[in-house]
Amino acid sequence: MIETKSITKTVNTSEGALQILQPISFQVKAGESIAIVGASGSGKSTLLSLLAGLDEVSTGEIFLDQQPLHTMDEEKRARLRGDKVGFIFQSFMLVQSLTALENIMLPAEINGLDNPKQRAQEILEQVGLGHRSHHYPNQLSGGEQQRVAIARAFITQPKILFADEPTGNLDAANSDKVEALLFQLNQEKQTTLVLVTHDPQLAAKCQRQLHMQAGELTEKTVTIEALDTNSENATQREAG
Amino acid sequence: MNTTFSLAWRLFRHEARRGELTIILLAIVLSVAAVLSLSLFSERLQQALTDRSAEFIAADRRLNSRNAVEQNWVDEAQKYGLQTAKQISTRSMVFGENEMALADLRAVNQNYPLKGSITVAEQPFGIASDVPGAPSSGEVWIDSRLFQLLEVNLGDIIGVGDTELKVTRVLGEIPDAGFSVFNTDPIVLMSMDDIIATNVTGPGSRVNYKTYFNGDASALDDYYDWLRPQLDDEIHYWMSVEDDGSQIGRAIARAERYFLLASLLAIVLAAVSIAVAAQRYSQRHFDPVAIMKTIGASKSQIQRMYMLQISFITILGIFIGTVLGLIIQQGVVTALGDSVEVSMDVWHWRPLLIALFTGSICALMFSLYPLMQLFNVPPLRVLRRDMDSNLSSRTIQFAAAGGAIFLLMWAYSGDLMISAILFLSGIVLVLGLLAVTYGLIALGRKLGGGAMGPWQLAWARIRRRAMDNSVQLISFSITIMLLLVVLVMRNDMIAQWRAQLPEGTPNYFLSNVTEAQRPALEKHFDDNAVRHDDFFPVVRGRFVAINEERIRTEVTKEGDEQPSEGRDGLGREANLTWDLEMQMGNKILEGRWLDQWQPGMPHEVSIESEVAGRLGINLGDILTFNIGSEIVNVTVTSLREVDWQTMQPNFFFVLHPSAMENYAATYITSFYLDESRKAEITALMLPFASATLFDVDARINQLRDVVEQVSLAVEFILILVLAAGSLVLIAQVQASMDERQQELAILRTLGAKGSLIRLSVVYEFIIIGVVAGFMAAVSNEFSLWLLQSQVFQMEASIHLEYWVIAPLVGALVVGILGALGCWRLLALNTSALLRKMV
Repeated sequence: MIETKSITKTVNTSEGALQILQPISFQVKAGESIAIVGASGSGKSTLLSLLAGLDEVSTGEIFLDQQPLHTMDEEKRARLRGDKVGFIFQSFMLVQSLTALENIMLPAEINGLDNPKQRAQEILEQVGLGHRSHHYPNQLSGGEQQRVAIARAFITQPKILFADEPTGNLDAANSDKVEALLFQLNQEKQTTLVLVTHDPQLAAKCQRQLHMQAGELTEKTVTIEALDTNSENATQREAG
Repeated sequence: MNTTFSLAWRLFRHEARRGELTIILLAIVLSVAAVLSLSLFSERLQQALTDRSAEFIAADRRLNSRNAVEQNWVDEAQKYGLQTAKQISTRSMVFGENEMALADLRAVNQNYPLKGSITVAEQPFGIASDVPGAPSSGEVWIDSRLFQLLEVNLGDIIGVGDTELKVTRVLGEIPDAGFSVFNTDPIVLMSMDDIIATNVTGPGSRVNYKTYFNGDASALDDYYDWLRPQLDDEIHYWMSVEDDGSQIGRAIARAERYFLLASLLAIVLAAVSIAVAAQRYSQRHFDPVAIMKTIGASKSQIQRMYMLQISFITILGIFIGTVLGLIIQQGVVTALGDSVEVSMDVWHWRPLLIALFTGSICALMFSLYPLMQLFNVPPLRVLRRDMDSNLSSRTIQFAAAGGAIFLLMWAYSGDLMISAILFLSGIVLVLGLLAVTYGLIALGRKLGGGAMGPWQLAWARIRRRAMDNSVQLISFSITIMLLLVVLVMRNDMIAQWRAQLPEGTPNYFLSNVTEAQRPALEKHFDDNAVRHDDFFPVVRGRFVAINEERIRTEVTKEGDEQPSEGRDGLGREANLTWDLEMQMGNKILEGRWLDQWQPGMPHEVSIESEVAGRLGINLGDILTFNIGSEIVNVTVTSLREVDWQTMQPNFFFVLHPSAMENYAATYITSFYLDESRKAEITALMLPFASATLFDVDARINQLRDVVEQVSLAVEFILILVLAAGSLVLIAQVQASMDERQQELAILRTLGAKGSLIRLSVVYEFIIIGVVAGFMAAVSNEFSLWLLQSQVFQMEASIHLEYWVIAPLVGALVVGILGALGCWRLLALNTSALLRKMV
């Protein structure tokens, strides 16, 4: 489903070019779930943005469902994202001026699917928020907002779902609900899941874990204790 | 397209309901309402004032002719749907039983006057009031002075030429008597039917034929197009109110320019407020655009969606603005009530079109750059929240905005000069402000050091947000500058108008006072507490030669401001006066004043510059006057500019006293008698019955009325512009407050005290207010100088007080608005503040 061949990312800073991703190559099979873990600043989100076609690689090749992302311009990538990709973000990223139902309808409408409203209503029921369809995001709790975001991600029945810290802004109880929902839908819809997380428990639920460190990727099964330490260090760094 | 439309519509509906469009909508509503109400009101007011001033030529248009006008011209006018009236005027002797006097004979038909009205009084020099119609055949209405001169009473018979007519009324005023206070012969108003019988209009007599026309402007223009080829410039003179060079004509012309200026400024204010609002609107939509792009929306979809949104907002804004504009206009008209009779009957389309055009052009052109920024927001912003649009050049913004403003101003005013002046001032201001902003940043670096108090925070913010602040500073300064221009212009203009006719302006003139009467009269005035002017000696003389070359033409009568009267005028004796002191309101343009004359030198004269120009008289020319049987030669040593608007005796020719030693003079003076004492005038003047009295009270009141009405209208326009400007300022502060929200939230979260944050925001706004106010005062001076000297034909003046007032008021107003906005944010608790940021 996803294949990268020596992709790198270099950004220009005032002190010259800075390579934030070392050459990375790996594959993700259809229906597989993988977690990208690592400390803050290790390049997880950059990798996610490249895989999802939100950003361009500096060198290397990247294929999404056999489509060469690295050769596409932003317009083509947008179309590809609309067709095949769903997103979930740490900060939910709902459109504040649309209701829950309309937020879910949005991708279906943008991509010209039939009966967007009906689809949205159904999936909203599935995430257990059928009764809140006419509420605006700021009238929903964090957990509810993320469930709306999950519903929005699944409405187009994407082949791949990218999730960036999906439970990062939620308390334990809500995290559990959201995780459960995510994996349940993932399984039901046979979606490939790529998620970025600090949360070792969440990572552990994925079939594979890719560990990022200073822009380099190592694939290994990490122990829960090790992930905990990383996570704490990261948290301390962020707070500091 | 359908999906995009419904998405755009849905976003629009929700955002409108949730109040997220309030600021941009308000900006458009404001611009449309301000432009509509201002231009509609000024159009209606101009109409009212034009109507009012049309009274001074007694019709919308007037044809003056030396020959009788062909009847078919009048018939043709009626075919064009025009009303017509006629007057024949000449000068002739009129006779009482024992006395006779030269009179200004006006024979009119029953339609006269088409505009304005004839006034009559109960008794000579009494208070006059309007009367319908004109004298019937067999009767005359005569001027108060003629009752004195002819020693007649109401009901007596007077001789006019070869016929006799009965005096039935005391004539007060006729609308187009002319505005001359000297040497005007008293008017005799009679019926057109009797003029043939008088035999005074036969060959050789100087007769003026006036034909009056009233009707629609377009019908009048069409008729004039038909008539023009048949007119002979030597004989005919077509006159409209615009040609009226009188004080009233000038006051109205100037007021019209002011309304135009105010409306233009309203357009600029509107543009500024839309620019600020569009910027804010765009920034608030960065996230939704990033989200939509992430989930597959193409750039063109986004473009269509937001262009549609802006269109919906614009249409709604224009609709509400139009309704509001009409309400405001109606309110103003009602408030003005009786003071200015503004007709609501005629609907003016032009203001509406201008308002619609302004609203849509401003909304589109000023949202262009913010929207382009919006279209370029990268989808990656969903992960990297700090990523803004990658569009960096502001050239397109400035070019689009500047071009739009200039074109709007030009299209609206049709006046390149006034548009260019305002535009140029704006550019100078913007450049100056950019320089000041960078200066401030440098200053901020010096002042912002040290411990983190409110001042340091304020300076730090100003420094860090340099570019944003410069845009804000520019918009504050432009707003304040525009308000200053409108305010100062109004003050200067009204002050000049009022100065022309201060309280106590002489309302009577007295001539033919003999040398012997003069001391007695002065004492008489003092005893009766009558304020009077100087006594000017006058000797009448015929102006016969320039440099010994006889002149065929003759000088028009003095003080005559009606060009129509002046064209054929001449043939009168000139009033010569002499004095070593120059009169008030006179200014030497060329040469030197008479006081340097030494015995043995040729006699000297100072001559009014316009008449000198007309007769081709230069410095050093020798003028010859025939006084009685004597000849007086005088050398022109100065050309004077005379302010005819001072209600005082003014003279074309002022001689050195040495030239006039041998001549017995009569004296002329003016005095003021309060309206309440008007009844005393006959008794007051009884001991000096031989002196001639002119009552100009009615004229002065007429003029004062118009000036008052125009001033009042100007005040209202000022209030409208001030209100619009204040709203723009509020919108600007509000918009910038949103941008500060995040920082306030962080400071609050970190435990900063409310007072620290509040003070720092207030200080920041005070600094911005002071700078904006100061820059506004500077550029105000620049644009006022250009406007007054180039457009309003006024003397440009410096307004130093505003250099202090503007920064103070700027600091106060902007500071208070900033404090209020900040209070609102700080009233929220920290978590609410943080949530608002999401």
